Amino acid sequence: MPDTAAENIPFAVRTYSAEALSEAFRKMLLIRKFEEGAEACYTRGQIHGTMHLSIGQEASAVGACMGLSDADKITSTHRGHGHCIAKGADVARMFAEFFGKETGYCKGRGGSMHIADVAKGNLGANGIVGGGLPIAVGAALAAKRLCTGAVTMCFFGDGANNEGAFHEALNMASVWALPVVFVCENNRYGMSNAVEKSTAVASIADRAPAYSMPGTSVDGNDFSAVAEAVEAAVSSARAGEGPSLVELVTYRWRGHSKSDRNRYRSKEEIAEWMAKDPLAGMSAMLLEHGILSEGDMAEISASVEREIEDAIEYARHSAGPEQAEITRYVYTDLAS
Amino acid sequence: MPVEVILPKVDMDMTVGTIAAWHAADGDRVEKDAPLFDIETDKAAMEVESPASGFLHHICAEIGAEVTIGTPVAWIYAEGETVGEAPLVFVKRPVFEEVPRDRDEPAAQREDAPTLTDKTRATPAARRLAASEGLDIAEVAGCGPRGRVQAADVERMLKGPEPDRSWQSARGPLNVLYSGGGDGLPIVMIHGFGADGGGWKALEEALPPGHPLFKIELSAHGRSPLSRIDGFRDLAAAVREAFDALQLDCVHLIGHSLGGALALALSATRARKIDGLTLIAPAGLGPEINGDALFGLARATKVESLRPWMQQLVADPGVITERFAKAAMQSRRDANLRAAQHHMAEALFPDGVQAFDMTVALKELDCPARIVWGRRDRMIPWRHALQAPGTVALHLLEDVGHLPHLERPELLAGLMRDLR
Amino acid sequence: MNVQADAVRTLSYAEALREAMDIALGADQRVVLIGEDIGIYGGAFQVTGDLVEKYGEDRVMDMPISELGGAGVAVGAAMTGLRPIFEFQFSDFATLAMEQIVNQAAKVRYMLGGAVSVPLVMRFPAGSGTGAAAQHSQSLEAWFGHVPGLKVVQPATPEDAKGLLLAALEDPDPVMIFEHKLLYKTRGPVPEGAYLTPIGKASLRREGRDLTIVATAIMVQKALEAAEVLAGEGVDAEVIDLRTIRPIDRETVLESVRKTGRLLCVYEAVKTLGIGAEISAMVAESDAFDFLDAPIVRLGGAECPIPYNPDLERAAVPQVADIIAGATDLAQGRT
Repeated sequence: MPDTAAENIPFAVRTYSAEALSEAFRKMLLIRKFEEGAEACYTRGQIHGTMHLSIGQEASAVGACMGLSDADKITSTHRGHGHCIAKGADVARMFAEFFGKETGYCKGRGGSMHIADVAKGNLGANGIVGGGLPIAVGAALAAKRLCTGAVTMCFFGDGANNEGAFHEALNMASVWALPVVFVCENNRYGMSNAVEKSTAVASIADRAPAYSMPGTSVDGNDFSAVAEAVEAAVSSARAGEGPSLVELVTYRWRGHSKSDRNRYRSKEEIAEWMAKDPLAGMSAMLLEHGILSEGDMAEISASVEREIEDAIEYARHSAGPEQAEITRYVYTDLAS
Repeated sequence: MPVEVILPKVDMDMTVGTIAAWHAADGDRVEKDAPLFDIETDKAAMEVESPASGFLHHICAEIGAEVTIGTPVAWIYAEGETVGEAPLVFVKRPVFEEVPRDRDEPAAQREDAPTLTDKTRATPAARRLAASEGLDIAEVAGCGPRGRVQAADVERMLKGPEPDRSWQSARGPLNVLYSGGGDGLPIVMIHGFGADGGGWKALEEALPPGHPLFKIELSAHGRSPLSRIDGFRDLAAAVREAFDALQLDCVHLIGHSLGGALALALSATRARKIDGLTLIAPAGLGPEINGDALFGLARATKVESLRPWMQQLVADPGVITERFAKAAMQSRRDANLRAAQHHMAEALFPDGVQAFDMTVALKELDCPARIVWGRRDRMIPWRHALQAPGTVALHLLEDVGHLPHLERPELLAGLMRDLR
Repeated sequence: MNVQADAVRTLSYAEALREAMDIALGADQRVVLIGEDIGIYGGAFQVTGDLVEKYGEDRVMDMPISELGGAGVAVGAAMTGLRPIFEFQFSDFATLAMEQIVNQAAKVRYMLGGAVSVPLVMRFPAGSGTGAAAQHSQSLEAWFGHVPGLKVVQPATPEDAKGLLLAALEDPDPVMIFEHKLLYKTRGPVPEGAYLTPIGKASLRREGRDLTIVATAIMVQKALEAAEVLAGEGVDAEVIDLRTIRPIDRETVLESVRKTGRLLCVYEAVKTLGIGAEISAMVAESDAFDFLDAPIVRLGGAECPIPYNPDLERAAVPQVADIIAGATDLAQGRT
């Protein structure tokens, strides 16, 4: 029996330093403000392409990455801004990418849907649902073969669990006992199609037994619960015990993309989930356990606001790519 | 049972044949082994004999039809046998029968339809070559599919015909035209390069009557065979053979230009039979000759390209009317003839130089001779006449070019009125 | 891989490929083979053979029948430090993996602004002639040739099979190797040791004056056979083995066409919208156009799936007699 006191203290508070928790809070806020800023820029016509916002899912992105170092890899999804920031990306270069500038992470060639930060271990968001799943297994295979000790975390959504690539990837990861963690951010809808209408199992974690791997499902808006479940999976992977599947149940406040008219869900449902704001939950936990004061939070919030403003300025004033370089990066330049 | 008449395979790699002729009609009686029909393949023509005796019926491959080997083309019924329905056979009809006739098309449509002849069909390589040589592609005759001009066609036009590829050298005696007649001294005439026996017509009419006229046509000229001439000796030998074949004991010889040189050559070997000699602007008395005009004439495939060169031959270009040039081109329309002449020109006048020298023969003549030359000859300089020894009469005519017998036939005939 | 190529022996095309993989596995720990039945079975066409015995199942990996997943694993592994050689059992099965090849392998580098490369080698046993009918006999190389980011090679000889495979492994970008199944047993001289056949460089297999035959894969052998017969008939054919269809060796083709003025393209894939169209357009768009002295002729596969019946199967792709007939017509100005 664990002692009562320990049981009342959330996993995150028990496990992470105050600095780490403060940084996690900062990252969640940064994701929120980044996406709000990106949405505003898009609305003003400063950003050319559509984007998929993860507002409301910040706890899952940041909580899942708590146990990862820069050496560990992630594969991300079309709704990948949060993963990118959680893995340590610079929002100025992210904005620059959204603005299509040469200073962006993808030198203006990828945009929101292919945002990546390879130096920090983010192998990239993916425009294809399920596209990153086999790639994550491949990265885990490389880590195992090269004995790097790195773990690969594969983010995917509820929609991807019905792709063939999901099943092939989980099966292979299990057959070869690879160090990969499959993190399903179940935000209830594959575009407009509710998970109940698209998926035969009640919980996506129920897919795990079919591939002989542990499967857990937790509240994806609860930072500590996310961190706890994913840390366990990461440790198991690092220990050579093979893959796991973790389902994080969450909700996107915004539509699928900027063209969504929200006809498949009710205002009440959205309001209900907004009441379960992961940022509010995180703030409450940090206040309750004396990790951060309201003043600390206000300070962090102000610094995040400044960072976002500066990042947008940086992006706006960066140069775009040269037309003549349109075919650059198609192939590796062997001369350089 | 009627006997099937099939189109037989008569050649190893033959797959189809074309019916060229039927020797019997539907209902005719035919005899076994008698010629029944003719076929043509891409290699040969062949007579096909009847496989049986009887009556021919159901001819299902008409003349011009292309038939796959082994296909029935008719049936032969025995005497008294009932002639039944024609069996079903599919024979490809010649393409031209399937082309709709013009008058069946609405007039408006016909006017709107683009005519393929508006544009020359030519390959890019041919166009590039023609352009680089300053040649109008429309001037080049195309030998490719659908008349397409290919690079080879342009090259042929530029270089002149390629003899070895385009014509087969033929053997046989030279053609000799005969006219006139009477008891007078026979006159043997040898024309110049590029002309033929018909070129003497104006002079013939001016000459006094009573002379049998023998007009030798040179190899690859007129109706003489397209023999390959690799040098002056070949040609002189051919003329000599033709002369010998005439079996004349005593003649007056007239030679023009190249024919003049040949007349001198003949005089050297058949001196006893030559009573006198008229040399009109003879070749062989110096190296110079107008090579551009010579090869231009040999190469020309169209009236438009022939006429300017022909006008170089005469003092007054007006003599060469378009009609005259057309007639000349008509006689040169055979590409093989042009090719053979071109080959001869290259052999006799390499690089535009007269490669044979008849001055010795001229100096050793022991019969009366005269040289008639136009002072405005642009083909061979008249000053070559000055090579002649004092025993040869010189007539240097004012305002006359290279063809005195055409330009001033009466004057020329007048000079020859002492003929016996 | 600095071993000098010094001696030359005769090997089959399959043996040459195996030797290349043997050299690579021995020289570089990052090289792994991934495919269906490539381990103890030795590969459907016995190309990997007994390599598993030498390098073990961790280096010569039998994978589940999961072409999409397997291809993606190879992409991810290549992005993160391995040098995978992925074998499709039949090139036709690549249709199951198009997502990973076309959307991921080919585009990751570009989408990420050059932040990663995908040094991936994929092998595709391709082509007809085995009686395996419509779903096991296709020639889909042009599909891949249409995708920027991929390189596509079609070795026609054992020597090139080895040299191009080793070159593909040296290449930092994804290289697709299309291997005609009927070539696996053909034999030819193969240098010992490691050597590279340059990707993107065609090979002039036979010099000639009268026409240029540009052929790929097994059609190279057929074109050379045809050229010998043609020589006896007075037609002097130049034969170019394209070897790489992306990036294509423009200059070798154009130079030859400038010389001969006549172009015959021979390839096994369906004729329409294929490699022949690309070669033809390349010539038509270049200065070599001015040297054309006849319409370009393409000989390609019939507009149908590969049929089962052996006579139909043969009729579905160009044969030596077709090449002779096509070349003769072209050289003699009948086209």
